[in-house]
Amino acid sequence: MSLWTIAWAYLWNRKFTTGLTILSVALSVGLISAVLTLRDETRQRFEEEQQAYDVVVGPSGSPLQLVLNSVYFLDQAIGALPYSKFERIKNYGDPVVNAYPIGLGDIYRTFRIVGTSRELFDYPWENAATGVKRYPFQLREGRYFEKSMEAVVGYRAAMGTGLKLGDTFEGRHGSMQMTPGMDEYDHGDTPYTVVGILKPSGTSNDRAIFVDLQSVWDTHAHKDDDGEEHKDEGLTISAILVDIYSPAEAFSWQAEISKELGVTATRPVQEILNLYRDVLEPAVMVLKGIGYIVVVISAISILIGLYLSIIQRRRDLAIMRALGASAVEIFGAVIIEAFLVTLMGIAAGWVLGKGAAMGLGMYTSAAYGFAITGLGTGLEELQFFAIVGFVGLLAGILPAWQAYQTDVARDLSAN
Amino acid sequence: MVTLENVRRKLGPGVEFYCERFHAEPGAHMALWGPSGCGKSTLLNLSTGLLLPDAGKVRIDGVEIQDMGDAALDRFRGERFGFVFQTFNLLKPFTALQNVLLGMRFSDTIPEKEWKPRATELLTRVGLGHRLNAKPGTLSVGEQQRVAIARALANRQKIVVADEPTGSLDPKTAASVMDLLLEMCREENVTMLLVTHDRAIADALPQRFDCTGLVRELSA
Repeated sequence: MSLWTIAWAYLWNRKFTTGLTILSVALSVGLISAVLTLRDETRQRFEEEQQAYDVVVGPSGSPLQLVLNSVYFLDQAIGALPYSKFERIKNYGDPVVNAYPIGLGDIYRTFRIVGTSRELFDYPWENAATGVKRYPFQLREGRYFEKSMEAVVGYRAAMGTGLKLGDTFEGRHGSMQMTPGMDEYDHGDTPYTVVGILKPSGTSNDRAIFVDLQSVWDTHAHKDDDGEEHKDEGLTISAILVDIYSPAEAFSWQAEISKELGVTATRPVQEILNLYRDVLEPAVMVLKGIGYIVVVISAISILIGLYLSIIQRRRDLAIMRALGASAVEIFGAVIIEAFLVTLMGIAAGWVLGKGAAMGLGMYTSAAYGFAITGLGTGLEELQFFAIVGFVGLLAGILPAWQAYQTDVARDLSAN
Repeated sequence: MVTLENVRRKLGPGVEFYCERFHAEPGAHMALWGPSGCGKSTLLNLSTGLLLPDAGKVRIDGVEIQDMGDAALDRFRGERFGFVFQTFNLLKPFTALQNVLLGMRFSDTIPEKEWKPRATELLTRVGLGHRLNAKPGTLSVGEQQRVAIARALANRQKIVVADEPTGSLDPKTAASVMDLLLEMCREENVTMLLVTHDRAIADALPQRFDCTGLVRELSA
């Protein structure tokens, strides 16, 4: 019978209070575990996608909104850009390798219809750090579009809308979150035909519907139901995704093209880093701060729980001392109790945290196309577990010291 | 086996325990008798090293204990003494078998592989072979004291000290527990020191030590 068995027996003997203490540790660990997991995995997804395109060009406006809109298909388009500017960039020459137009404005249900060129599907996303290439436009079934009014549907969009090969659908002019009074109407006379469905890629592509850019122009060159012509002033696009020969040249080229064309040109990597620095990191810091406060509260609850338990079983400790247990062994048994409670709290918290991260991951995957598994455990998370373990042991020291100082004769004679 | 010589121990302001000489031979079955508050339990605690004297010598099994370190004394006590208390003092989270095993866990006397067979044998001998896995809360008071007797003998201790072992039992159960305690101590050839305020129980043992006057007030 080891000290571990003895410690476990006493924990089990007061299982309700032990359970509550474990729960308090688990809640703090779960909170921080979920926050760190979501932060790490979200950052990883963002980094993969921000590294996909070296520079994004759009009309004058917020660079962050431009990136969110054209790379992640979030937020509103900031305006229109003459197609001629795309042609200028496409034919710019060194260091531009290629350029892809993005035409936004229509949605089907809640999914963005993205007008682009056929070439985009062949463009691999390369991780600048590892050199690993991903192909997030692979077909699950069907083919890529070849002409106007053909559509290739992202995996989530297909799941969410029920669209299958050969189905037709009509886009609606407007934003994903329409409010009354906003510009919104159906393009009922210009339906799209689904010719392909993409494999899930865990990227924003999953919740987009890709069509030939010509479709966007054709759709808007129509008349409304009341006969009034819906005018488009020249051929326009929303943004241009640019592949630069060397990412190192992206910075200087971005400045050059902004000046030359009077456009907003930005590097997604920079905007996302700024977003993290200004918005997400402070939020994560606040959540981590709350988590650490809960850790301290948990440590205090471990301390109080054990301390009260030691007071209640002073006689038991005295009996063990009478049976030959040394004061050091009694000290060790109490420390083991604190360690076991903390360990179980960490384990339960890890499960809670991963469960919460997986749940949120499923939501973000469905809503935003960010595939978050919620299962990753990073170094910072492991360091946090070690800190919690250490704090738990510290919390056990005072009760253990109390037990160490057992007055055997007094406590044996106490009623 | 146990000898105290000129032992003093301050018990509180103006009160001290003093014993000029106490001696129990190996194999003795001795009652420490006297009225409440006379110093019986203090004598027992000093005889087992649970209390250390302020002055004087305590010799147990040929070893003077007053200058021993705490850890060595804990181990020494666990190997030499078995305890039977008035309120049984079984540890509630553990089964009868585990309570007896605990007696061996903190000593090196019995090899680990023999722990369980010996604990089972002792519990069978006290009539509880069928209640090995019962927790103290499910045992009757008589059964609990039987477990305590088995635990007190688990380490093949040389001395069993029993502090009012029948004080919480009805007369019939008390008689059977006393018979069992004496029988087990004889079979195991163990010295027994039994604290009691009951003259009849004291008279039933071969030797008796009158503790009256061991606790005294100090003159100003």
